[in-house]
Amino acid sequence: MARTDTASLPPTRTDFRDRAVGRLLRRPSALVGLILLAGILAMAAFADVAFPGDPLDMAGSPLLRPGDAAEFPLGTDMMGRDLASGIFHGARVSLLIGGVAALVSLVIGIGIGALSGYYGGRVDRALMRVTELFQTIPPFLFTLALVAILQPSIATITTAIGITSWSGLARLVRAEVLRLRNSELAQASIILGASDARIIFLHILPNALAPVIVSASILVATAILTESSLSFLGLGDPNVVSWGGMVGAGRETIRTDPHVAAIPGVAIVIAVLALNLLGDGLNDVLNGKGERR
Amino acid sequence: MMGRDRQVAGGIRRRMVVAAAMMMTAAAAVGVLPLSAGNAAAQEARKGGTLSIILQPEPVTLTPSTNMAQPTQVVAGNIFDGLVAYDFDLKPKPALAERWEVAPDGLTITFHLRSGVKWHDGKPFSAADVKWSLENIWKTIHPRNKSLFENVTQVDTPDDSTVILRLSKPSLPILSVLNGVGAPILPKHLYEGTDILNNPYNNKPVGTGPFVFKEWKRGEYVELARNPDYWEAGKPYLDRLLFRIIPDAAARAAAIEKGEIQYAPYNPVPFRDAERLSKLPRLKVDTRGYEWLSPLLYLDFNVENQYLKDVRVRRAIAHAIDRAALAKIVWFGYAKPAISPVPSSLVTFHNTKLPQYPFDVKKAEALLDEAGFKRDANGVRFTLTHDFLPYGDDYRRTGEFLKQALKRVGIEVTIRSQDSAAFIKRVYVDRDFDFAISYNNAFPDPQIGVVRAFWSGWLGTGTPWTNGSGYRNARADALIQEAGVEGDPAKRIAEFNEFQDIVLGDVPSLPLLELNFFSVYSADLQGIVEQGDQVYSSLKNARFVDAPKAN
Repeated sequence: MARTDTASLPPTRTDFRDRAVGRLLRRPSALVGLILLAGILAMAAFADVAFPGDPLDMAGSPLLRPGDAAEFPLGTDMMGRDLASGIFHGARVSLLIGGVAALVSLVIGIGIGALSGYYGGRVDRALMRVTELFQTIPPFLFTLALVAILQPSIATITTAIGITSWSGLARLVRAEVLRLRNSELAQASIILGASDARIIFLHILPNALAPVIVSASILVATAILTESSLSFLGLGDPNVVSWGGMVGAGRETIRTDPHVAAIPGVAIVIAVLALNLLGDGLNDVLNGKGERR
Repeated sequence: MMGRDRQVAGGIRRRMVVAAAMMMTAAAAVGVLPLSAGNAAAQEARKGGTLSIILQPEPVTLTPSTNMAQPTQVVAGNIFDGLVAYDFDLKPKPALAERWEVAPDGLTITFHLRSGVKWHDGKPFSAADVKWSLENIWKTIHPRNKSLFENVTQVDTPDDSTVILRLSKPSLPILSVLNGVGAPILPKHLYEGTDILNNPYNNKPVGTGPFVFKEWKRGEYVELARNPDYWEAGKPYLDRLLFRIIPDAAARAAAIEKGEIQYAPYNPVPFRDAERLSKLPRLKVDTRGYEWLSPLLYLDFNVENQYLKDVRVRRAIAHAIDRAALAKIVWFGYAKPAISPVPSSLVTFHNTKLPQYPFDVKKAEALLDEAGFKRDANGVRFTLTHDFLPYGDDYRRTGEFLKQALKRVGIEVTIRSQDSAAFIKRVYVDRDFDFAISYNNAFPDPQIGVVRAFWSGWLGTGTPWTNGSGYRNARADALIQEAGVEGDPAKRIAEFNEFQDIVLGDVPSLPLLELNFFSVYSADLQGIVEQGDQVYSSLKNARFVDAPKAN
């Protein structure tokens, strides 16, 4: 990176971003994560091109193994559904659920964390009791209960995962906000008469963003895993194909036809691994450990 | 608990055994051939030995007086003998009753009991026990029998070995439920004057059957020992029955494979595993012994739905479903296409000359066009929501199969999953559904398990597994009621034939498959499946043979 030009000037936000991306790309693990994720995104994007038609169609004879038939490169499941098509179309559902659930969780977590940290006092105590309430209930069981009550569909599963996974993030944001609230920047803004909203959104949150971005990638990964576990337990949305649902459908034949569960299982592993690698990389870079070697 | 670790409750009270699901499957024809006579003679039967059996899930009680759950009945069938047992054609054969007569008007049924039979505690068994059980259990608290015995006005016991039932109206189906679990006879001397539901003997039962209760170690096993005073000389052959509770399906499969378990009834392993196990020379997979239950998988159409109220739409859906493929792909061949709401195992009542709905996509499309539901620009005629009985993956996959089948004829299906409480409420109480799959055990007489799905008298009662479609047909109702109190067997058959014709023409509920449960057992065993109610009966004929062990 050519730093000589800018060395004399104070670093701008764009510089920082450029350097961060550069540093990220120089870490092999993060790079691998990014490439894998890009691959999965490409699968999701081109599912309809690569595998036109409904992935739930009973397209071939049941339980073909990979390589048995040229038109089903990954074989078929016990209903004769094409596993390769399922993997591609399933990428959409899994990423959609992961992304939206993480978003829900981010909105709630940042909202509660910011309010709690900024206002302190009674607001803080009330919001933190709520957060603790959510923290004391095992998140997976909580999700399971919510989905069972609301009846499984993409929307309810996503909402349930979002609702049950924000508590850690809220505490993280609260700690950051608490720290920044007492920073000179925030104090100066208060003296200058800036509104609370302005201070929170313009001065505090942007500076608290680094840990949030890191946790977001982990949240997506966790959401994908949670959806998989739900589907595995039979609480997935039966109208769409998801990787977890495919693993669940394959568990009955695991002794005789392990590929039916293993192939989508590998897809989940890769997606979660990619997001975790990326998260680790982001963590190192954004927390300023990037230069350490 | 999930997936395969479930089992089917026997009988109507399946709801008690939500778990059951997976186990029901069954095998059309998986090849278990009975040992030929010559073969059996060549292999000398060996007396004694312990038979280890899968019991899944753990029962709640061991007395079948109020609990119709499958595991309770599997154990209890060995402890309690009934008045009769049922052969493969579901005809009664003597057990505690040596013979019986039904008066021509159907208003008197006389049972002549076997003499010299003793309860396991040594007290003599007599007509008084039967009378007491009828009056205090069959007529009152037994969930399945109440309606069958309600016309019994008086029970006479002129001597210790004669029981005479006097009825206000005939009730011929009584003769179809008289085995040890269908009409359990409990010892009057231990139950009279007690709180029957909480009697301590419910969990340490005293019966007259071939095996005596020894011990129930919760979470591990139920142990029964040979009854040395059993009325049938020389039987039972085995010294001990050990019912082992193994909740995990993979562990069950392993135990069966290793030979630790020699007998595993009620779909102990997933279908695909059954296929694998059936190929091992040391094991057999058998679908016989469940005839008395005759489970039927069916599709209930909500006849109040704006599309499904048109009989042409219902018929079109019937034509759009390839039931043979459903049996083969989803149920792994452990089922056969059903052509009547009365399963073919009910030989006497099953009518083969009925309106049929062969798989015919063109016909289905034509019927839908005729009903005025044309395909729109996306090829969709209309959208329905499907609810499947949440008893396991087999039902879910059946739903997925239907979704794909109906898509071909332009009906878009959204599958909705829920737990069994929500399913029951939705279909039978709120009636807030379009079409749903479920299953019923038919039992040997249509009166017991079949007509409940069609009789309008059940509407509004919210009773699970009764008229889910909301069907009302005055003629069908009349036939059901007539057959219920008809004393002439031939007339009843005629009434049920007409009934089948009407309901299959109107098709408010489409029979899909006759399910076959299966048992897995060691090839070293003989006499393990000898009758049509075998799984709910005793293993008095079971014995090990001194055959060299293969593989």
